[in-house]
Amino acid sequence: MSEMLYWQALNRAMDAEMAADETVLTLGEDVGLYGGTYRVTEGLMAKYGEWRVRDTPISENSFTGLGVGAAMLGLRPVVEIMTINFALFAMDAIVNMAAKIPFMSGGQFPMPLTIRMPGGVAKQLGAQHSQRLEHMLMNVPGLRIVVPATPQDAYWQLRQAIRSDDPILVLEHELLYFSKGDVDEATLAPPIHQAVARRRGRDITCIAYSRMLPLALQAAETLAAEGIELTVIDPRSLSPIDWDTCVRAVEQTHRCLIVEEDCRFAGAGAEFAATLQERCFYLLDAPIQRVAGMDIPTPFNGTLEAASIPRGEHIVQAARQMMAQQ
Amino acid sequence: MKAEITMPVLSDTMQTGRLTRWNKAVGEVIKKGEAVAEVETDKAILDVEAFADGFLAGPLAAVDTDIPVRQVIGYIADTPEATKTDSGGAARVAATTAPPAPPSAAPGAVPEKKTAPPDTLQPTAPAAAATPPDTAPSEKPASPLPPHTPTAAAAALQPPHAGGLQASPYARALARDLELDLSQVKPGPDGIIHAAQVLASALAPEDADLRRGPPYTIERPSMLRAAVARNMSATLDTPTFLISSRFATAPLHAAAKQAGLSLTLALTRACALTVAEDPWFNQVWTRQGLAKRSRVDVGIAVDTGDGLITPVLRDAASRPLKELVEDWRILLGKVKKGRIYPEDYQGASFYLSNLGVFPEVERFNAIVPVGASAILAVAAVGSDGRADFTLSCDHRVIFGADAARFLQRLGKRLEDLSWLATGEGGL
Repeated sequence: MSEMLYWQALNRAMDAEMAADETVLTLGEDVGLYGGTYRVTEGLMAKYGEWRVRDTPISENSFTGLGVGAAMLGLRPVVEIMTINFALFAMDAIVNMAAKIPFMSGGQFPMPLTIRMPGGVAKQLGAQHSQRLEHMLMNVPGLRIVVPATPQDAYWQLRQAIRSDDPILVLEHELLYFSKGDVDEATLAPPIHQAVARRRGRDITCIAYSRMLPLALQAAETLAAEGIELTVIDPRSLSPIDWDTCVRAVEQTHRCLIVEEDCRFAGAGAEFAATLQERCFYLLDAPIQRVAGMDIPTPFNGTLEAASIPRGEHIVQAARQMMAQQ
Repeated sequence: MKAEITMPVLSDTMQTGRLTRWNKAVGEVIKKGEAVAEVETDKAILDVEAFADGFLAGPLAAVDTDIPVRQVIGYIADTPEATKTDSGGAARVAATTAPPAPPSAAPGAVPEKKTAPPDTLQPTAPAAAATPPDTAPSEKPASPLPPHTPTAAAAALQPPHAGGLQASPYARALARDLELDLSQVKPGPDGIIHAAQVLASALAPEDADLRRGPPYTIERPSMLRAAVARNMSATLDTPTFLISSRFATAPLHAAAKQAGLSLTLALTRACALTVAEDPWFNQVWTRQGLAKRSRVDVGIAVDTGDGLITPVLRDAASRPLKELVEDWRILLGKVKKGRIYPEDYQGASFYLSNLGVFPEVERFNAIVPVGASAILAVAAVGSDGRADFTLSCDHRVIFGADAARFLQRLGKRLEDLSWLATGEGGL
């Protein structure tokens, strides 16, 4: 067990898988000589050579397609797309190829492809570089999506994604790369799509993923001081979603609050809210609530940018309001 | 800049306060510490003090409404200009009235924060609920900046659905399991029945069915009366027994008069001294164990004309009598003005109830309040010159023989009045 940064945990995971299996390779913009925009592939080219750590031209659809082809032929490629915003160029490779080929070939072609990409509102990167887009990708059957919020999960879930024979998107968050946490490289990882309770409380189940998780945990502390106890569920995966864990939690608290940085409209929170009310309707004591990003392109102005996504105080306020009703 | 004035929490048991009066009007200057409003709590009328200098600003909560603690009732502005009430403000400081308000007003009780962040960061389920189903699909395209007040306001005006009754699914399921009629359950502060109200209703004793009796109207009890009702119901779980004796009170009366004491005070002292001799009478049963108190605080039942209050004389066994006399004078003054505070009437370890001024009362017994183990009921002096003393005891703490010995010692103390004149705590 050692403490490390989120990007370091990803780097260790890459290293471990490349050492364990020589069919694992990585490709993307600046992953080789430069070591990755967020240092995730640092040192890998020196260790594994330019055949397995490949710098590509600025052409997302082409190199993601290359990854798809490599996966079809038995390799285990890890494609890094510099930010999720650029994945829009690679939609054909991701949606039409990676997600479809295993189905359309009747399983003859597996798709052991991992696509890593950071997203989220960072710091004044402008509307075109601040998107989350998980809601867009969640709507593509055939893809799996994981959203590690801690260095430990980053380590575990990237390794599990590389070993999986299905196409898996690992959505990282630009503001999480430098968050710190303990990483135990020896213990067995929980199943890649399993949700976990990060905290237990009797009043409200708060579902928060990626960078919203630390915010929710902080808000839970504030609320605990006021006597409002939150259960905080980290879904860890957005496709598939571990409903059983979420349902069990909501059945105990009878109230549910979903926190997402992505836009509210037709977002991940909408899916959580819809399915949880289907499964828990008779045990709900209040309407399921969402705290979400605004339905607007992210403003460049720093103040407006910060106002466009949830902050801890919004979670606190929403929870207070839910409890004030009764 | 406007700062919120909220309904203060004035006692442990206080859940709502009734706003009885605004001492100032909107725009008037107020000073820090000044009483801006009056609130009737469980037991008394108390002041709401201003926490800063400024000007009273609206919207103000309506007078004569029950308002949950910590809810905003008004504002203090730092400039006279800022006291202007913005439109739609009236709905913001909403109060709940005890009988359910007319349907159109009920959901208006949902408090809306003045400083609400933009709509998209707020839970909008209520707004969604306000949208009639047939127009839902066309509603709210992703406009860049959804206006937040209108949708919320629409939600506030939304009447309850056809049944006239709104309850959460969990509340309905619970009511079904508990075989409770939801129409008999009082909704929560938001006008909706939640699980908490169903459970409270299930645990509360059933109301009498008055429908076949004479016509009636429902009147809200005063806060004091409601508090007494609550406290008395809370004693139902106390296993109680009674024990009586008759003592002559004339000697005590005479000695008290000589010492310049009221009979009530002399009796209080006699009780306190007797309690101090047997610590069992100063203990109380709690879930954690027996609470042994190190001091005898005697609560004395006082008739206010509209209910009962029990001002407490602290350390009544060992403090000088003249201190008790002064304390009692102050306490009675507070009762008269209706300005008595929780620290004045809570926490007694023994109680005394004296109905001796009613010559018709031959004998009565009193209910042991929660927090004490015994209460002594003193009736009027009979033709034999003696009065009935009935002691009600919590049998978890006090046994029959203890109580018998207590009355024995008290009887002696009413005969040998040396404790009143000299020695232990004479004047």
